[in-house]
Amino acid sequence: MTISRIALIFLLSFSTVAVAAQPFVYREFDLFEQYEPYVSGDLKLSGSYEYWKDPANLDYRIAGNPDENWKLNWKFMDPPFNQAVHGGHFALDRGEDLFGQLNIKGRFATCLGVKGGGKSTSKLAGLRAGYPRWRDDLKRVAGLEEVIEHCANKQGRVLQSGSYDNSAVSIYLASFSNGMPIAIDVARAGPMKESFERGRKLFHLKAGAFNFACSSCHSHNIGRRLRGNIITTPYGDAAHYPVYKTQYMLQSLHLRFVECNLDTRTQSLLPGSRPYTDLEVFMTALSNGYPVTVPAERDW
Amino acid sequence: MRLGSFFILSIFLAAPAWSVDPPSDASVRGGKTMEPKIIVNSGRLEWVPHKRELGAWPTLSYQDRRATPEPQRAAMTAPTNGDAARGKSLAWTWCIACHTLPGDEWPGTVGSPMWHYKQYNHADALVYQQIFDPRVFNPHTVMPAYGTFGLLADQDIRDLVAYLQSIE
Repeated sequence: MTISRIALIFLLSFSTVAVAAQPFVYREFDLFEQYEPYVSGDLKLSGSYEYWKDPANLDYRIAGNPDENWKLNWKFMDPPFNQAVHGGHFALDRGEDLFGQLNIKGRFATCLGVKGGGKSTSKLAGLRAGYPRWRDDLKRVAGLEEVIEHCANKQGRVLQSGSYDNSAVSIYLASFSNGMPIAIDVARAGPMKESFERGRKLFHLKAGAFNFACSSCHSHNIGRRLRGNIITTPYGDAAHYPVYKTQYMLQSLHLRFVECNLDTRTQSLLPGSRPYTDLEVFMTALSNGYPVTVPAERDW
Repeated sequence: MRLGSFFILSIFLAAPAWSVDPPSDASVRGGKTMEPKIIVNSGRLEWVPHKRELGAWPTLSYQDRRATPEPQRAAMTAPTNGDAARGKSLAWTWCIACHTLPGDEWPGTVGSPMWHYKQYNHADALVYQQIFDPRVFNPHTVMPAYGTFGLLADQDIRDLVAYLQSIE
């Protein structure tokens, strides 16, 4: 259902002075859509879910057709697409090394949210599928990469969100959730739901030199061409991150947002910034029910 | 009197919030748009200057209090005086990602096709406005406002108009 809200005036407080007038700052929104926080919600948006809902039974004949392969939502590049060793496998090894160094006393795992912590890797299963989540220590919702940065800091290591080493640890942790469906709860009232709603709003907020919102293309022009690229659905697109891409070597979801912004001539934000985390929650909720798949590759 | 001074004071205190600078969580350093560079086996990102300066337009940041440029009517003075050849070259830079232009084997299909554009007999001023700021005709449009956002100059748009009007 579409609610017409284009050219809504975006109310923003412009001063910390309590009594100061709150002027309207004119910002534009793309037509708002409702989204189901579950991967099959795509059936009401692009319908391409039919083609990629079952990762084990993709029709690879479609993958070979440049006019049609967008319908697979690039899932054909998830493992085992490339059975040769690629950059994602090197990252997995690097992640294992780093995790071993960080978790010598088992405290790194505890900090990540592994119940009971400890040095055993057996409890890491399912961790990735439950992020982003509310963190009591950070007093906010945070994605796995932000939490890796935070917990590595406590061990005296700098692993900036978006850096190679951070994403390598993230891929390593995600590998224990391979095949497990993404499961974050944005339906229950609370900070996760609020974050999801902020993310949904951001998804429709127009920005940059071209005045595009994410939804300008990824909700309202899915299946149409931008020259050689065909626009895909936002559903089911968060389960394979961080991803191996030759251009970026390893790309976390926040770095993907940076690339999206720069490609559409919008000043990008920093990985770990609040808007990107809210978008991460939104995108991850739209992947609810879809299995974690690392290490994956993508062309874009 | 007291109320008046308080009002003036609050405007004064509020003034920094109207700054034209990009927000602090934008990837800007020294006034330049930066992009991340991944360093293999490193826990730090390297930031290098991006090929374009993008700091002038609103971002997705919650701290960004800059307004989107509002829809603007353009007054094109006749005659059009456009150079169709230059317009074609501009169209292949700015329009082709979304619009199909004659001679393109990988056409964009987000925008309407520009084949046989001449047949529509649009007035030059209307085509100029559509490129300058299409939101005047359709507030829901996805097409950028090339004039209002300062992406194309007056003569650029005139050249594009001349090219489009020449497509048989």
